[in-house]
Amino acid sequence: MKPAPFDYTRPRDWSAALAALAAGARPTAGGQSLGPMLNLRLAMPETIADLRHLPGFGVIDQQRDCVRIGAGTTHARIEDGAVPGQVGAILARIARNIAYRAVRNRGTLGGSLSHADPAADWVTVLPAFPGHAIALGPEGERRIPLGCFVTGVFAVALQETELLQAVELPMLPEGTRFGHWKFCRKPGEFSKASACVLALPGSAPRAVLAALDQRPLVIDDAAALLAAPEAEAARIVEGLRLADPWREALARVALRNAAQEAA
Amino acid sequence: MKLHLTVNGAATALEAEPRTHLADLLRDQLLLTGTHIGCEHGVCGACTVELDGAPARSCLMHAGSCDGATVRTIEGLVDDPVMALLCEAFSAEHALQCGYCTPGMLMTARDIVLRLPEADEDRVREELAGNLCRCTGYRGIVRALLAVLASRRRPGSGDPDSPLSGCLA
Amino acid sequence: MTVSGKGVGASLRRKEDRRFLQGRGRYVGDIRPAGVLEVAFLRSPVAHARLRGVQKPAQGLVFTAADLLEIGPIRANSALPGFRASDQPALARDKLRHVGEPIAACLAESRAAAEDLAAACLPDYEELPAVSDMLAALAPDAPLIHEHWSENAFLETKREDEVADLDAIAAAKVRRRLRTARQSMAPIEGRGVIAEWDPRLEQLIVTSSTQMPHVTKSGIAECLGLDEGQVRVISPDVGGGFGYKGILLAEELVCAALAIRLGRPVRWLEDRLEQLTANANCREHFYDVTAWADAEGRLLACEVEAVVDAGAYSAYPFSACLEAAQIGSIFPGPYTLPRFRFRTVSACTNKPPILPYRGVARTGVCFAMETTLDALARQLGIDAAAIRAINLVPPEAMPYRNLVGKVFDSGDYPEALRRAVAAIDVAALRARQAAGETVGLGLAVFCEQGAHGTSVYHGWGIPFVPGFEQAQARFTPDGVLELRVGLHSHGQGLETTLAQVAHEVLGVDPARVRLVHGDTALTPYSTGTWGSRAMVMAGGAVAEACRQLGERALTIGAALLQAPREACVLRDGAIVQGEAKVTLDEVARTWYRRPQNLPREVDKGGLEVTAGYRPDPDTGTHSYAAHAVVARVDRETGAVVLEQYVIVEDGGTLVNPMIVDGQVLGGTAQGIGTALYEEMPFDAQGQPLAGTLADYLLPGASEVPDITIEHMVTPSPWTRFGQKGIGESGAIGPPAAIVNAINDALARFGAEVTDLPATPARVLAALAKVGAA
Ligand SMILES: Cc1cc2nc3c(=O)[nH]c(=O)nc-3n(C[C@H](O)[C@H](O)[C@H](O)COP(=O)(O)OP(=O)(O)OC[C@H]3O[C@@H](n4cnc5c(N)ncnc54)[C@H](O)[C@@H]3O)c2cc1C
Ligand code: FES
Ligand code: FES
Repeated sequence: MKPAPFDYTRPRDWSAALAALAAGARPTAGGQSLGPMLNLRLAMPETIADLRHLPGFGVIDQQRDCVRIGAGTTHARIEDGAVPGQVGAILARIARNIAYRAVRNRGTLGGSLSHADPAADWVTVLPAFPGHAIALGPEGERRIPLGCFVTGVFAVALQETELLQAVELPMLPEGTRFGHWKFCRKPGEFSKASACVLALPGSAPRAVLAALDQRPLVIDDAAALLAAPEAEAARIVEGLRLADPWREALARVALRNAAQEAA
Repeated sequence: MKLHLTVNGAATALEAEPRTHLADLLRDQLLLTGTHIGCEHGVCGACTVELDGAPARSCLMHAGSCDGATVRTIEGLVDDPVMALLCEAFSAEHALQCGYCTPGMLMTARDIVLRLPEADEDRVREELAGNLCRCTGYRGIVRALLAVLASRRRPGSGDPDSPLSGCLA
Repeated sequence: MTVSGKGVGASLRRKEDRRFLQGRGRYVGDIRPAGVLEVAFLRSPVAHARLRGVQKPAQGLVFTAADLLEIGPIRANSALPGFRASDQPALARDKLRHVGEPIAACLAESRAAAEDLAAACLPDYEELPAVSDMLAALAPDAPLIHEHWSENAFLETKREDEVADLDAIAAAKVRRRLRTARQSMAPIEGRGVIAEWDPRLEQLIVTSSTQMPHVTKSGIAECLGLDEGQVRVISPDVGGGFGYKGILLAEELVCAALAIRLGRPVRWLEDRLEQLTANANCREHFYDVTAWADAEGRLLACEVEAVVDAGAYSAYPFSACLEAAQIGSIFPGPYTLPRFRFRTVSACTNKPPILPYRGVARTGVCFAMETTLDALARQLGIDAAAIRAINLVPPEAMPYRNLVGKVFDSGDYPEALRRAVAAIDVAALRARQAAGETVGLGLAVFCEQGAHGTSVYHGWGIPFVPGFEQAQARFTPDGVLELRVGLHSHGQGLETTLAQVAHEVLGVDPARVRLVHGDTALTPYSTGTWGSRAMVMAGGAVAEACRQLGERALTIGAALLQAPREACVLRDGAIVQGEAKVTLDEVARTWYRRPQNLPREVDKGGLEVTAGYRPDPDTGTHSYAAHAVVARVDRETGAVVLEQYVIVEDGGTLVNPMIVDGQVLGGTAQGIGTALYEEMPFDAQGQPLAGTLADYLLPGASEVPDITIEHMVTPSPWTRFGQKGIGESGAIGPPAAIVNAINDALARFGAEVTDLPATPARVLAALAKVGAA
């Protein structure tokens, strides 16, 4: 289990990184998803471009009504409270249950989102936020609504020539409610069903149901779910026509529990 | 490629293929074989080392990414006071059998002690999820950690005369 | 226990801990001889195919079977009548019989480069229909895996007690079809081999992560056509065995042949992908059990059809039939079963060859017997403890010979059960059940035959039969006691416990006892560490060697004291007469350094004794245990939480109780894995479906509860200190006890789990089947 040969580059600025990308390099951040794939030869890139030394890559910048989280921010820093406010508290709670601390110390928010494992935690949680993924490409910056960022299993809305630079999340107003539930057979395991609900005062609550070996389901208006979690969860999950009755049951429970917590 | 590492306090220059992971670098080139390899996909924790001050999987860090990093391995922590307490407790609680998971387990245990001084049994077990042991059934490991956590919570435990290192003496 | 508190019975801390805690253990992967070539194997991508050839890359060292004709096939025969032998080629010749079977050895300066070579090889094969299920393998039209056989079976065994009359007399009859999953033993360290040729000694030196260096040596010599003296096997520190490293490996033979051929050291280290996909090789059983009982729950008979998925080849040395044949002899368990009818089959499938995993067939048998007992109890409306109590062999019957001839040495089985149940608040549990909680109590009682010897094994006719275990004890000139044993310690703590045994006999401080093990050049022959035999066999042998050594020391010491030998005794590491004494250090110094002071009648063998030991009778010790579990089932997700886990255990005299607890706890954690988590599924084409530890789930710290162990101590009348083999015990009971707890929790819905592991998906499926999901 050793990787196929590859070259390594360490761009020092974003234009160099984009140039490397244009030349076919595979970007890496924490290496916690790419690393196993390299060792198993499931990924055999010719060149790896290490993004970790880019300016601002791991910087968390609180602005007036939003927080911009550099793509290179590790799960561990988020767990330890580096993101301010209620949004930070929510992210910290999620981060703590990603993998294991040694993985969280290296793995990044941006890497996880770009990798788009259907069972990954940020893939479940971030689409619920009315925020944006900030992509950087040869033409400059592009803001992609988080609800549209993940487009499929291991597929995202980034162009091949783009990098994920940051994620921008709104500071949450007083009265925001959040619910999240996931099922793992053991701590640190990728979940077998997960769901979250985010309800901001004055706007329609959003829900996400994920970890079902398919693109996360984003529900833009989850008011009905919050009103009748049990029945709505059952209805929504039935519509997915999942093949495996166990995963179907878990999905129902996940959605209901997340909704009940947020209600 | 050429790379520079600071390993257990010593600056080291190495020559390696970019694809070589840190665990192999440490083991094959620096003969630091206390860092073990159990899965090479991040799950078992046997390869855990301290990388730039925090535990990391050395099997997932390939040479290029490591250039410039500071690494501490089990061999570099022999004189560390927290590690000494842990070793003593591991031996007293029979927290190891074949010893293969032990160095990685100790790296994680040390991080738990330093980062989560108030951890209770459930938290300790949860934090150990990323280190697999096939021999002990974990009871000894959990008890050893709880003993060290408790001893450090006792008033006056900071003093250097506290009982150290039966096994390291 | 000795007054010193360091002998037999002391929870002495382990002598081996220090090096492991400092990262100074020395495992095979830590050894990298100068000039070594690393090996990566090209392995079969398919389960069943005709191999036409391999297109090798233009450059690089690649060897196929055709290049290594000096390697004979691995042949693990059995003398049991009807056994079909399979020749396992070290590298596949004309057929591929399981995914992961080695096809070619690719050598390079680094493992990565060797893997590049393997990736550049193109095997040319014609795929054949695969046999991936053991029951399908036995169908008359199944494709034949070994084409000269008439069916895909290594062996069938049977016993034909009459049961036809029972339906008329029995108060209860149940029938269950049960399955256990194929598992990977998954020690955290994989296998690994370094082979070197020493031209000076004309000797092949194989350093291998093995539990049985001497058996491996014999096997290598046999397959390579070398004298046994030309092979030395070194087993360094081994990162867990559990049976996985009790095998002669194709990889060992290939590395050995290549080291001889190339005159360079050659190393292969198994990675986790190889371990999981090429070597998932234990535990897969199918049972069709029928049991009859009277109104009180007394067993009248059991009828069992059992099939074991033995994989594609008969592994050396334990053979493909050990497990299935064992089912016939151990199914009655700790119970007084009056009639027993069975048929067992070792099925041949396109999967890796089966190996005996900790507990061997007992884990599956215990699961089948104990779940069946609970089914009977439910049908009769009696308590799970009551049905066991009425059937267990009573203490007054010991030693007890059961209907298949197993002889239980000693113990009080009902008392173990009583204590285990007493540790649970059953009334509170029943109240919770009445309140609608899905919680349950599960029990399992079993005994474990360990340390069985010649009389048991010769009938199997497998490549070895354990005889007298030997140990060497000798003083070095400074009075340090050196023990040499041919079995191996890989977590069992023998460096400590055998020192305790020596201390018990000679009084030498354990700190001054060195254990040499794991090197065939340095130790007497042994069949190795397996079958819960080390403490009984090596413990007995070390005690005997030390006793004889003590006799010799006594003669010298008495002369130095100028006292008659009869007036002197050996006490606390010295030869003593009244107030006068000579230490064993002094005795050693005299023998080696001041021979002029030796008495006339001294034993010319000096202070070096090799002694053999075998218990009499050698049918084995029977440790036993009762497991009691409280489990909570989440009806919505199927998840199972173990709330309480109690073990009452009798291992006879415990040489080191701390270490015994460690063995039991570790085994139980593995048993929890068998019960709830571990499973290597194969698809219909014989492809293994769990390639990483993220798919093949091993229990972690949160999955194993804080287990309580209570000991009973009934010494075995047949062993040196009364110790019984207990190393495997923990792994036997959990699947039975846990599934019984789950089924107790599900009982009010009429649902039952019958297949292992009892995953959340299976639990929910069981509920769905009765419309209760
Ligand atoms: C044992 C183990 C258990 C895990 N369990 C979980 C879990 O329970 N939940 C969970 O969510 N995750 C889990 N993970 C994954 C972990 O969270 C990873 O850290 C994360 O998925 C990837 O982040 P990374 O920074 O390591 O990315 P990398 O591995 O470096 O990269 C991942 C992918 O994203 C691309 N990429 C990285 N950064 C960028 C960027 N800025 N722009 C564009 N593309 C980029 C890479 O090219 C690559 O394809 C686990 C990982 C391991 C090893
Ligand atoms: S070897 Fe790195 S986590 Fe297992
Ligand atoms: S002590 Fe053997 S794996 Fe933990």
